[in-house]
Amino acid sequence: MTDELGALTTIFTEFYYWITVVLMFLIHVGFCMYEVGASRYKHHQHTLMKNTMLIPLVTVTWFLFGWWIYWAFPTGPGLAPSIMNGSTALITDESTFSAKWYVPNSSLMAVNLGDHISGVFWAAFLLFSWTAASIVSGAVIERITTFAFGILAIAIGSVFWTIDAAWGWHFDGWMLKLLGYHDAYASGVIHAIAGGFALGILVVLGPRLGKFTSSGEPRNIGPRNPWLVTVGLFLIYTGFWGFYAACNIPIFNLGPEYGMEGVTYFTATNIYVTPTTLSGITFNFLMSLSGGLLAGYVISKGDPFWTYSSGLAGIICASAGNDLYHPIQSMIIGMIGVVVAYKMHYWVERKFKIDDAVGAVAVHGYAGFAGLIICGFVLNGYPSSGYSVGAMWDGATYASINPLGMFIGAIIMFFVLGMLPGWILAKILHGMGKLRIPREVEIAGMDYDIMEAARDDEKSVASSTR
Amino acid sequence: MATVTNWIDHLSAKEVQGAIYPGVGSEGILVILAFIIWIGWHVISAKQESEKHEKLARKRHGPNDWKSNVTDG
Repeated sequence: MTDELGALTTIFTEFYYWITVVLMFLIHVGFCMYEVGASRYKHHQHTLMKNTMLIPLVTVTWFLFGWWIYWAFPTGPGLAPSIMNGSTALITDESTFSAKWYVPNSSLMAVNLGDHISGVFWAAFLLFSWTAASIVSGAVIERITTFAFGILAIAIGSVFWTIDAAWGWHFDGWMLKLLGYHDAYASGVIHAIAGGFALGILVVLGPRLGKFTSSGEPRNIGPRNPWLVTVGLFLIYTGFWGFYAACNIPIFNLGPEYGMEGVTYFTATNIYVTPTTLSGITFNFLMSLSGGLLAGYVISKGDPFWTYSSGLAGIICASAGNDLYHPIQSMIIGMIGVVVAYKMHYWVERKFKIDDAVGAVAVHGYAGFAGLIICGFVLNGYPSSGYSVGAMWDGATYASINPLGMFIGAIIMFFVLGMLPGWILAKILHGMGKLRIPREVEIAGMDYDIMEAARDDEKSVASSTR
Repeated sequence: MATVTNWIDHLSAKEVQGAIYPGVGSEGILVILAFIIWIGWHVISAKQESEKHEKLARKRHGPNDWKSNVTDG
């Protein structure tokens, strides 16, 4: 920070990420509104508190160990050597991007005049963690205990999604090298994994009382406040835009980074440090949103809940390759994602009696999964990284993006790191008798006592004359 | 406790020390405290939640009883 240009770049980058964090806060506001709007009156306040309390729980654990996992696990460990130290072990050495600097007692994890980036970058990733946990929250409303949800939120928000980010999002991740995995705006690393995790929990948790008839036919428990739901989804769109910016590095000189002698090339890059532009991803964000809305309106015959959710599903499906797609490709991919999500939601509901209360598994899980597979075909042959391009399974170099690698990547995201851990943890919590609220409480409504107290207060105030 | 007592001295030092929060060197203790608070919160809130649920479950309200509690604002 001793020359003006260097200082300007540093402070600009610090401010850039800070702004994205503020924008992404709207995702959580949106999720809270959406969930409360989708729940029934007698469960409103507990539904809100469940989603709200994931904020401190995921934040504290992200500080204590989540951030460390991201920097330690890119190698697997044991699957592909790091380009920083050549080792396949956990990255905890003295290298620049080592997890060593991100243990919670590191002096970089605080106000430090020598570091203007760690805190805002930590926060940007933390907001992704909240989103992962919040996706799960909507699916399980009206019957999960706050205790169980807190544990599951920490698991997805501070452990499993950060492992997948280290594997498939970090510039040194083994999935890029072995598989050619590419997921620029997190079709898989946030959405498919969170959708899969939610599905794993739902299998154990079971449906809300009354969701299915005795013959197994699903009943519709539609949103009780469609206005809250739709405004919530508008806010999620807004925050998602901030998320796109947060997944980029705003200014970077790729010449020296790639070892190109005498080449200076300043650009924005995606999370993998390959070039893209904010301008380009703005085209794609809006066109995939539009594709999702158009398809959602038609397939749901104008149902507002599904149309709005489809806008989100459209973006999610196109996100894996939205750093490179043409806007019309983004739009079409968004439309495909919506059809997959909508059809799969109702098929899974009927076939397996899964009660996904807000369609979270569909919008995030199935659309994200489909987006990864589509990306493998549309971006087939593009390098997954700017560093040493090589062949699949090579390990020492980076494989190109390809359909098989992306399919395996989708399986890892949705099933291996998502559904399986969700199912196992839910089984453990169920075994402890802590997963689901008592039947009598579900019938009465979780807010019964609060509402009763409010009524008594009202009566007492109404009958007073002074 | 104060890590900085004079900004001019601090910033004109040969090597400016980055960490400026109070109690530099005590981070390990702070981390242990954070773990205790985190785990403690789960224990206390889980107990509260169980008690609340047990109490409500005992009353065996019907599915529409809550409607009599709706306030008019």
